Amino acid sequence: MVCIRKATVDDLLAMQTCNLFCLPENYQMKYYLYHILSWPQLLYVAEDYNGKIVGYVLAKMEEETTECHGHITSLAVLRTHRKLGLATKLMTAAQNAMEQVYGAEYVSLHVRKSNRAAFNLYTETLGYKIHDVEAKYYADGEDAYDMRKQLKGKKHHHHHHHHHGGGCCSADLKADEKPGSAETKTE
Amino acid sequence: MASKFGLAGGIPERRVRPIWDAVDSRQFKNALKLSTALLSKYPNSPYALALKALILERMGKNEEALSVCLNAKEILCTNDSNVFVDDLTLSTLQIVFQRLDHLELATSCYEYACTKYPNNLEVMMGLFSCYVREYSFVKQQQIAIKMYKIAGEERFLLWAVCSIQLQVCCGNGGGKLFQLAEGLLKKHIASHGLHEPEALSVYISLLEQQCKFGDALEILCGKLGSLMMIEVDKLRLQGRLLARAGDYVAAADVFQKVLVLCPDDWECFLQYLGCLLEDGSIFIKDSDPIHPLKSTECKNFQISEELFDSRMSQAVDFVRKLMVEANDNSARCPYLAHLEIERRKLLFGKGDADKVVEDLMQYFIRFGHLACFTSDVERFLEVLDYNKKSEFLKKLVKECVGSVSGPTKELGQSITVFKIQNSIGDLFALPVNDLEDIAVRMIEMFCKNLPLSKELDVQESMHGEELLSLACNVLVQLFWRTRDLGYLLESIMILEFGLAIRRYVWQYKILLVHLYSYWSSLPLAYERYKSLDVKNILLETVSPHILPQMVASPLWADLSDLLREYLKFMDDHFRESADLTFLAYRHRNYSKVIEFVQFKERLQRSSHYLMAKIEAPILQLKQNSNNIDEVECILESLRCGTHPLELSNEIRSKSLTFNEDLKLRPWWTPTSDKNYLLGPFEGVSSCPRENTHNQIKQTEENVVKTVEKRSLLPRMIYLSIYSASESVKENLEANGALVDSKLSLELKILLERYTKILDFSFQDAVELVLGFSSGQKPFEAPSPDLIDWMNFAVFLNAWNLNSHEIKFSDTDPSSTSTWNLVNIMFRKYVTETIRCTGPVVSSPGSHLPFLVQLVTEPLAWHVLIIHSCIRSLHPSGRKKKKGGSVDQSNTQLLHEMQNSIQSLCDTIEMVTRWLKEQLNTPDDEKVEALFSSILRNGRNDGPGKVFNILESSSSLVKDVEVGARILEAVQSWSPAGVVRNIITGQRSLLSDFLKLCELKLKSLQTVRLQL
Repeated sequence: MVCIRKATVDDLLAMQTCNLFCLPENYQMKYYLYHILSWPQLLYVAEDYNGKIVGYVLAKMEEETTECHGHITSLAVLRTHRKLGLATKLMTAAQNAMEQVYGAEYVSLHVRKSNRAAFNLYTETLGYKIHDVEAKYYADGEDAYDMRKQLKGKKHHHHHHHHHGGGCCSADLKADEKPGSAETKTE
Repeated sequence: MASKFGLAGGIPERRVRPIWDAVDSRQFKNALKLSTALLSKYPNSPYALALKALILERMGKNEEALSVCLNAKEILCTNDSNVFVDDLTLSTLQIVFQRLDHLELATSCYEYACTKYPNNLEVMMGLFSCYVREYSFVKQQQIAIKMYKIAGEERFLLWAVCSIQLQVCCGNGGGKLFQLAEGLLKKHIASHGLHEPEALSVYISLLEQQCKFGDALEILCGKLGSLMMIEVDKLRLQGRLLARAGDYVAAADVFQKVLVLCPDDWECFLQYLGCLLEDGSIFIKDSDPIHPLKSTECKNFQISEELFDSRMSQAVDFVRKLMVEANDNSARCPYLAHLEIERRKLLFGKGDADKVVEDLMQYFIRFGHLACFTSDVERFLEVLDYNKKSEFLKKLVKECVGSVSGPTKELGQSITVFKIQNSIGDLFALPVNDLEDIAVRMIEMFCKNLPLSKELDVQESMHGEELLSLACNVLVQLFWRTRDLGYLLESIMILEFGLAIRRYVWQYKILLVHLYSYWSSLPLAYERYKSLDVKNILLETVSPHILPQMVASPLWADLSDLLREYLKFMDDHFRESADLTFLAYRHRNYSKVIEFVQFKERLQRSSHYLMAKIEAPILQLKQNSNNIDEVECILESLRCGTHPLELSNEIRSKSLTFNEDLKLRPWWTPTSDKNYLLGPFEGVSSCPRENTHNQIKQTEENVVKTVEKRSLLPRMIYLSIYSASESVKENLEANGALVDSKLSLELKILLERYTKILDFSFQDAVELVLGFSSGQKPFEAPSPDLIDWMNFAVFLNAWNLNSHEIKFSDTDPSSTSTWNLVNIMFRKYVTETIRCTGPVVSSPGSHLPFLVQLVTEPLAWHVLIIHSCIRSLHPSGRKKKKGGSVDQSNTQLLHEMQNSIQSLCDTIEMVTRWLKEQLNTPDDEKVEALFSSILRNGRNDGPGKVFNILESSSSLVKDVEVGARILEAVQSWSPAGVVRNIITGQRSLLSDFLKLCELKLKSLQTVRLQL
């Protein structure tokens, strides 16, 4: 009874509310906007009936490295809507889009070492593997697992040629990425 | 013009790099030194100047930065061919101009460069981005077309098309422009095809907006359709287009395909059902995302009974197939689809309510333990009558008792039963004792299930967390019915207990914010609000929980912080949003460009934002109201109050947006201007749930009025101060030089507008206040309305000083002048309010905020008017020359003012006495009295049962395994501390208000001395 659909800019209000209720960290609005305006195909929301947003996934493409890959920035599902497989559905939607729209070869994410529930979801349900450990990744000093999952890496249909430079915008946003690329939490 | 290799703005890069590095590492002083050195070598280089300006701006030297920038611009815009111009120079200047809020200067630099170097794409893109930042959609379109003509690139064409769509959606362009855009795209596709999925989306949306659904379908199903990479996205779009074209049969087929691929997609199922019933209303997009029109509530069935039957059985078969095929145990959609079909049948008059109840039970057995169950089934319960609902509830209770599932599932189901009971309005019909039992059972259940959460870490939600919010709701209802403070205290107690165990539960905090606010412990409410850590866009959606209470409070420093933080976020966003729009253009996410611009407009029209924008200057005026010079400075910065006035003028033409998520509010205050607890309990019929929709509409209308009304205040204050001083001068100057009658007239017009907002004509309003003061009009309970009327009376008096239009009959001794009228009104309202208000500790929802507003707003404005008169009577330096002789009419005025000052002092002293009485009672005494309300001491009824359970929980948890963290939290929890915090919060609020009153008194005494 939940529709997993691409996020619109208007969904941002509800997504941030989800974020407040699910995660200890709260991202700057700029950060959400940066994602949705750059990779709109990679943002999904879980919409319950009456339009209530009960979960979301925020992801992006890393295009600077040689291997084109996606990265899951944030995943949240409201407590009231846990145990319904929504996190899995949201993740699958984002992963498929990375593969089909952008031709990503693999997808990465960070997860708190202590977040067992999320860790289990990633390893057992979604097939992620530990790639590395990043010491003191989070603001509070906790370590993160750097996890990866190989995608089929289908040849992608088109590629964006982004025109960076000119205007201070992209530079400013880049600076914000580090504190933002943080948390995932599900059950 | 060119960017030559190794050159930056025409200067060798090695000379510039150290400056860049210094700026990057924020060593601005050093950067400035280096830049000065560079300028000595290249004094006429626009880039060197632009760099210097950039550094100056970062150092906060805005004026210097602007002058350097202007210098650079001047050099840049000469015809001197030696001047080097490149995109780096232009974009650097652009950044600085933008930060200095002079976008237009940056635009004109680019415009110049474009004429100087025609056909240079880089510069043209820069100019395009300038127009994007200015939201100049027409100019955007023109430059994009130029670029398209030069380069023939698809993206430039799409930039132009987007700009056209924006003219229609967000500007004042007519729908005809769509044809132009369509023509451009068609021509391009014929020769070059299309290469980007987003371009296809734009093309289709363009056709859809013109209702050319057939054409859109043709494109989607043709060669270009392959651009859509994700199959279900394509199918969903295809289904929608078919439905909108009226081909419901084909559309239903497509939606069936989607449902096979995504069996849990509820939205799609509704669309499928809509198509079967040939009802297209679900496909019309809502313009208002926060209050979605319940398109599925539409009962407008246009098909025959026969067709209805066959279509419904078709749907039943399909859903059955889905259920069999879906091996996904968590997919709720097929089960709810079943229910939805039954519901539609009921609405069509061919249903069977028993069947609905039966299906609901099936759904409960499968999903009843989930937190989402109740909201899932709400729409189905709505179509049942009260008896059927009760039958369902009884069955649930029976099912619950009989089920043998694990403890978590059992807990989940039990919570669901409570929620359903609440949802069908059953709780409002229960007698007090039964209701109390329910609260007791909830708390027992919570405590009993604590061991389930022993393994969870602190950030994880606990099992049964909802029980405490539910119990709180019940206890508040008990308080509403009985007015027994004990229940209110218990409702707070359990939430604080919950927070002691897990401090992250936002639901508890929001409830506490409202409970503490209601009980005049606003500082404590604010503390709980702060612990929510509200930031970013949540300031827009969550701060309405606290802001209205703060506006009517003496907590000025905190209010000021709140307003500043919120306005800063919004204004920063508006400044940055244009940059972000350009990001979407660059990434070729054309549909997002339009969404994003619309989103920005939605925030700009936010009612909450407008409210904050007007409350910020009003707060400043209040904070400085004891100093007329300061007030005048503030008014000057508001362009004599005309600035907020413009806001008021615009407000009717804007359709405001309401972005607060009202579902987060507690039941007793569904909107910020409604609190059921302030009125008496009126039985089942007053169940607030039923009235929510009307209440929201009412509030939205009120908000518009309030913003409009409040925006008039600064200008009225300005005109009143002016009018007061003019009236004195008029009397002073022999034969009365001409008073600026224009301003007096303006004040009258504003007074008329003000009364119109209050739904009165000016004349009726005048009569009403005259009636108030002469006692003909009876005193009503204090309300925000009365503050408006006091404001009106105060400004009316100021206007009358000059116009003398309000005449008094000599026969009525109580009101001989508008001065006297105002005095009487203040005295009367304060006396009556204090008379009917007990001490705050025993009177939740007390009239304290009313008194605060009365003293800090209308009374403060009135004192300013007196101040202004006196200042004009005794202009500094002229005091003695006049020899102290004031003429006849000023003697009269002097007399009036002496009376007024005395009367105001008396009025304020009444308030201070009332405050001191309460502050003089020792806290310990209050704590003890309050605490005793929940101690049972052998009593059998009344509050205390719930508290008893909490008290015994600490000994209870010793015997069961709850984990060290919970054990410690429960054992160290102090109920007395909760009571003490409430009292401390109240004390701090009262003493803050006392301080304000005393300052006002002191200021009045100073004024008196000047007489």
